Amino acid sequence: MKVKGEKKLKRDKASTPEVKLRVGSVSLSFGGVQALVDVSFEVRNPEILAIIGPNGAGKTCLLNCISGFYKPQEGAIYYGDKKIVGLPPYRIASIGISRTFQNIQLYSGMTTVDNLMAARHMHIKPNLFSSSIYFGPTHRREIEHRRAVERIIDFLELEPIRKKVVGMLPYGQRKKIDLARALAQEPQLLLLDEPMAGMNYEEKEDMARYILDIADLRKIPIVLVEHDMGVVMDISDRVVVLDFGQKIAEGTPDVIKVNPKVISAYLGDAAI
Amino acid sequence: MLLSKDMELDTIPKLLFDNYRKHPGEVALREKRYGVWNEFTWKDYFEKVKYFALGLLTLGLKRGDRVSIIGENKPEWFCAELAAQTIGGIVVGIYTDAGPLEVAHFAGHSGSRIVVAHDQEQVDKLLQIQDKLPQLERVIYWDDRGLWNYDDPLLISYDQVLELGRKYEKEHRGVFEEEMKKGSGNDLAVISYTSGTTGLPKGAMISHRQLVSLAKLGRDLDDWTDSDEYVSFVPPAWITEQVVGITGCILSRMKASFAESPESIQENIREIGASVLFYGPRNWESVVRMVQARISDAHPFKRLLYNTFLSVGYKVADINLAGKRPGPLWRPLYWVARVALFRQLLDKLGFSKVRTAYTAGSAISPDIVRFFHAIGVDLKNMYGASEIGTVSAPYSSGDIRPETAGVPLEGIEVRISDESEILVSSNTLFDGYYKDDEGTRKKLRGGWYCTGDFGYIDESGHVIVMDRMDDLRSLASGQKFSPQYTEIRLRFSPYIKEAIILGGEERDYVTAIINIELNNVGKWAERKRIPYTTFSDLSQREQVLELIAGEVMKVNRTLPEWARIKKFTNLNKELDADEAEMTRTRKLRRTFVEEKYSDLIQALYSGKSELPMESEVVYRDGRRAKITTSIKINAVVTG
Repeated sequence: MKVKGEKKLKRDKASTPEVKLRVGSVSLSFGGVQALVDVSFEVRNPEILAIIGPNGAGKTCLLNCISGFYKPQEGAIYYGDKKIVGLPPYRIASIGISRTFQNIQLYSGMTTVDNLMAARHMHIKPNLFSSSIYFGPTHRREIEHRRAVERIIDFLELEPIRKKVVGMLPYGQRKKIDLARALAQEPQLLLLDEPMAGMNYEEKEDMARYILDIADLRKIPIVLVEHDMGVVMDISDRVVVLDFGQKIAEGTPDVIKVNPKVISAYLGDAAI
Repeated sequence: MLLSKDMELDTIPKLLFDNYRKHPGEVALREKRYGVWNEFTWKDYFEKVKYFALGLLTLGLKRGDRVSIIGENKPEWFCAELAAQTIGGIVVGIYTDAGPLEVAHFAGHSGSRIVVAHDQEQVDKLLQIQDKLPQLERVIYWDDRGLWNYDDPLLISYDQVLELGRKYEKEHRGVFEEEMKKGSGNDLAVISYTSGTTGLPKGAMISHRQLVSLAKLGRDLDDWTDSDEYVSFVPPAWITEQVVGITGCILSRMKASFAESPESIQENIREIGASVLFYGPRNWESVVRMVQARISDAHPFKRLLYNTFLSVGYKVADINLAGKRPGPLWRPLYWVARVALFRQLLDKLGFSKVRTAYTAGSAISPDIVRFFHAIGVDLKNMYGASEIGTVSAPYSSGDIRPETAGVPLEGIEVRISDESEILVSSNTLFDGYYKDDEGTRKKLRGGWYCTGDFGYIDESGHVIVMDRMDDLRSLASGQKFSPQYTEIRLRFSPYIKEAIILGGEERDYVTAIINIELNNVGKWAERKRIPYTTFSDLSQREQVLELIAGEVMKVNRTLPEWARIKKFTNLNKELDADEAEMTRTRKLRRTFVEEKYSDLIQALYSGKSELPMESEVVYRDGRRAKITTSIKINAVVTG
């Protein structure tokens, strides 16, 4: 798949990248099932890191560990210098890690704008007195947040569905709103869980463009769990491959493409 | 002040300057951005034009140089055009959905030294084809999204050009005004490439004088004033928007508003309360289609109400269109229909305040015109072409006939040649085709422009445009018919999106290739519990074929015996501009389509009832795929 502009190649990677997130020897099991076994990797800034692997490899489990939905039995996850294992999801969100969901999590009875305004709540510091009056500081704050939301609406081209109720919208658009919601939290690290699942070719191309634009504009690292190999190879800087809960490879897309372990995980041993 | 007060206002930039001088604080343009309508006064408008023009001067633009602009309707488009024109530049508008090769043709043929492009999408096209454009020096973009890391020396941002202009102004005061004064009405303002239903598009050279006099005609005809609201929607690459949106709005100080995005146009029209509106026939069609689709989804009781009130609307519209006044029975009934249905419908569509609505560009179905008159929109069908501007229009609301394009405008003479071709002579004639004297000679004969349109003038002086001369067909029996006429009638059906009518001297009867409207037929199929998978599958379902046969029969009843459709087939894919089957303005490219589907057409004239067809699909990114399906040939029962 060809993404317009081929900007990936031009992105500035000269400076030594800072490590934004470190996952160290994380293991997770549900009863007797080993979902993740001793997985370690780093997310640098700036980069788009893809986590790939066959079905059931543990990709989403890994994202859930980072975002605090699961607590790994062993290992540590550091965000900057801060250890985040064991923190509840809302704390992790408030320190700057936002995510999207494979099966879209939005308030389906609310409009696009309201969903995005709700995502800003963690940045709104309410005060009983001023909030009960609304006019003055609260009103100004509301405008300021609405402005931030409008910038995201502009960025993801959501204008025509700004005031539409989310539950009535088609899948591809809800997927975009889910991404907008994560952006509205102003993350320092963005986790995307299968942002292109179930999309048609054109929607995928658009989404790939948005992801590249986010990385360019916000200068934040993006962790991407994705099935579509074309997309992964095209837009990510580095790839981590999981199989049966274990990390089997890590490197640039070109290296991963020819790695025999990866080929055998995807296509079976006979393929080599 | 370098300019005398009584400077002749013969160019568009001079008109803009006049507004700036007399009404600096009045609102000229509005643009919705970040969810808020931002206003630009004549002063803002003028200053943006001024600095951009000086920026272009700094970049080395000379009088007579061509500047291409490709982008959606935005203030930047208008300002860039006026800026280029002020310093003697000639503007070439390009449709946003033109492919890289088409862009290369427009920018290359016109020899544009500077291209003003909207966003990354357009910039990428230009970077891709820059080897084909040796004369191209600069690409100016105004939306920088995604372009942050581009470092091609060709690129420069809109704001940077404005900055260059401000700097230039400090060192060279008065240059802008001098340059503006140098302009004269006979200077070329734009090169408008014709949509090219036949062959490569030709560039019609159009002067300031022509644009200004066309805009004056429009203003005087329908009283455009500074209290009117216009929503700029039809592409500025089209002569119509040049006349109405750019020149007309400056001339009459009508406020021009720009939608947030093409998809939110309906909502934006409603917010602005547009009073003057210009849509192409296809846009009007799609509004009707949308209403029909919504109604077919509604509760049966609501459907009943809709149909009842609409028939009242039709009745009254017919009385009005015939130039009579509705009697004591119909007037109160229409009032009820208005209060109960039309007002809400118009409000939903954003048409509540529409005073005058226009359509032009290609033929429109009389059914569409009647529909809008029934619900209370004063839709006027005009006739014109890039080369001659507006030829005819209904003079007043009482003078509208659904099947005609009004009467010739003041100063315009219309004559019908022996072959029934429409010939036009006026002082708004174009200056010929750019770099194509041969083409000019063919079309301009003895002061008359040969439109290539087949038509006639009825006894009350109304111009009736039937079809393109080249597209008229005759049958083996020698009887002539107009495929387009039948096509637009078929397209009024909510279930038919496109139709190609076939015939010819070697053929005995008329047949049709039909494109179903996926949304509406899909919904219909769901209601009837007909399972289907893809477009291709749905189009060949037995019940769908029956449905379409019914629609064809309805149209057949309005046609003379020999022009009736005897056989039709549902095409298994949608006709697409990306595959060159239609032009970018969604006109059918008949010759091409007929060659492409020659097997299918042969089958329509043989005894076959089915044809296996392999069709190649080209995706937007250039990938190709093959699809094989069996297409059914269906006879239409006469009666």
